[in-house]
Amino acid sequence: MVFPTLQFIVFFFCVLALNGMVWSRPVWRKAMLIAASYVFYAAWDVRFLALMIGVSLIAWLAGIGVTKPALRTFSKVTSITLLILTLGVFKYFNFFMLSFSQLLEGTAFARDLQWISIILPVGISFYIFQAISYVMDVDRGDVPVRRNATDVFLFISFFPQLVAGPIVRAAHFLPQIDNPKAPDRAARALAIILILMGLFKKMVVANYLSVLIVDPVYALPDGQNMITATAAMLGYAIQIYCDFSGYSDIAIGIALLLGYEFHRNFNQPYRAHSLRNFWQRWHISLSTWIRDYLYIPLGGNVGGALRSGIIVVLTMTLAGLWHGAGWNFLLWGFVHGAGLAVERMFRARNFALPYWLAVFVVFVIVCLLWVPFRAADFYETKAMFTALFTLDGFAPAELSATIWGLIAVGFVINILPMQWLGRSQAILSHAPASVQAVILAIGVWGIFAAAQDGVAPFIYFQF
Amino acid sequence: MKRFTITLIACLAVAWLLSGERFLDSVFEMVDLGQVDDIIIERVIWLEERKASLGLPDVFGAIRQSLHNVLGLG
Repeated sequence: MVFPTLQFIVFFFCVLALNGMVWSRPVWRKAMLIAASYVFYAAWDVRFLALMIGVSLIAWLAGIGVTKPALRTFSKVTSITLLILTLGVFKYFNFFMLSFSQLLEGTAFARDLQWISIILPVGISFYIFQAISYVMDVDRGDVPVRRNATDVFLFISFFPQLVAGPIVRAAHFLPQIDNPKAPDRAARALAIILILMGLFKKMVVANYLSVLIVDPVYALPDGQNMITATAAMLGYAIQIYCDFSGYSDIAIGIALLLGYEFHRNFNQPYRAHSLRNFWQRWHISLSTWIRDYLYIPLGGNVGGALRSGIIVVLTMTLAGLWHGAGWNFLLWGFVHGAGLAVERMFRARNFALPYWLAVFVVFVIVCLLWVPFRAADFYETKAMFTALFTLDGFAPAELSATIWGLIAVGFVINILPMQWLGRSQAILSHAPASVQAVILAIGVWGIFAAAQDGVAPFIYFQF
Repeated sequence: MKRFTITLIACLAVAWLLSGERFLDSVFEMVDLGQVDDIIIERVIWLEERKASLGLPDVFGAIRQSLHNVLGLG
């Protein structure tokens, strides 16, 4: 089930109504939300529901296990291994078999090694990361263990953030399960703004950019002129931002209407003045997860510049691989990591560019790095870079004003001072509940009217 | 919150009344729920027939057309 569909709207209204009915009965409320989350997930493929239940079961049992001294190491090692293996099999098996098969090609050992084709379950990376963080947080003593299975099952399956984040931390979410906050006028106002903003970013900006410029150019990158390739590169930078941050906004908004608060996942990333700052603004929940459960355990900033540089490159390469099983994602992560390491060296020597120049340089680097991220393979990547850097006398490109308009809208969203959010929320907070509902309904109706026909999946679903 | 939810559901009903046959199309795009699916489709078709007899305009379609023309979308 995808957010911007009538099917989801009907589903969500039912959940909202039921949530209100069982609000004062915690056991029923948790059970209802788990059931709703399972219906939401099963709408994609009911077979993978068993996988998610299995992951939740592992996390719950391991959480209890790590609190018992005799079982602590066994529970931690077994559960983390099982969870990583599950992710590995479903997400990376095909990639490794294909890569291995290609490696053997032309040798005496050449074999067709693609024995089985495994379908990637939607959102697997997100809920497995949450399961891992729960076990590790309980083990570290950051989160009290939950002996009640429903708490852990709800934490892992809660439908607003189930398939594409934000990656919620147990320490933040579990206390809310016991005491959700009934949404008052201010919370509803914020939820409405976030839902409408998210829908607009996804259904209007991201989807149209995808259809009008990004997909056609990336489908045939050979022979594109510089202007068209640049528009496609910029278009994708805006598309992926609007697509993913749009999903996060909607997720945060609908969770808020149900009484749960999530942290912000994006903070105008294209205003970043360094790559480090970019990762503090882009997919914040993943960046902090990687920092806390990968970078710091690997050694983090401890040791010399070379050692921490290698760790940051390794961490970012793994983060690239998290985004997808492909060499292009690996390259994307590796170059980001290398960039972060180089940036550190400059910082250590107190070298800094003027602020706006730094913002521009970082934006250009990030946009260029989106090329291998979006391209299907290295051949496509090379063709796009050739088009981007081939001076062809600025041949006139047949690009409509709509494309440039949508790219401009994306930029405006990125540079708009964030005070607008607080001000809009303050204005909408004065409206009574029924007026707020009408505003939400009219807004959604209008965005659906402006949107394209059909439902384009969110980019991050595949991760 | 009760008033908010009730108003939202009422708005959904109004949107259905003023959106032509789009809701019916969405029902056909739903995940196949087997026998439940048949019951839902049967009920929605019955409702759509009642709605058609009222002769309500497709306001959604008109807004959509205007927006797409003005903004050059599509």
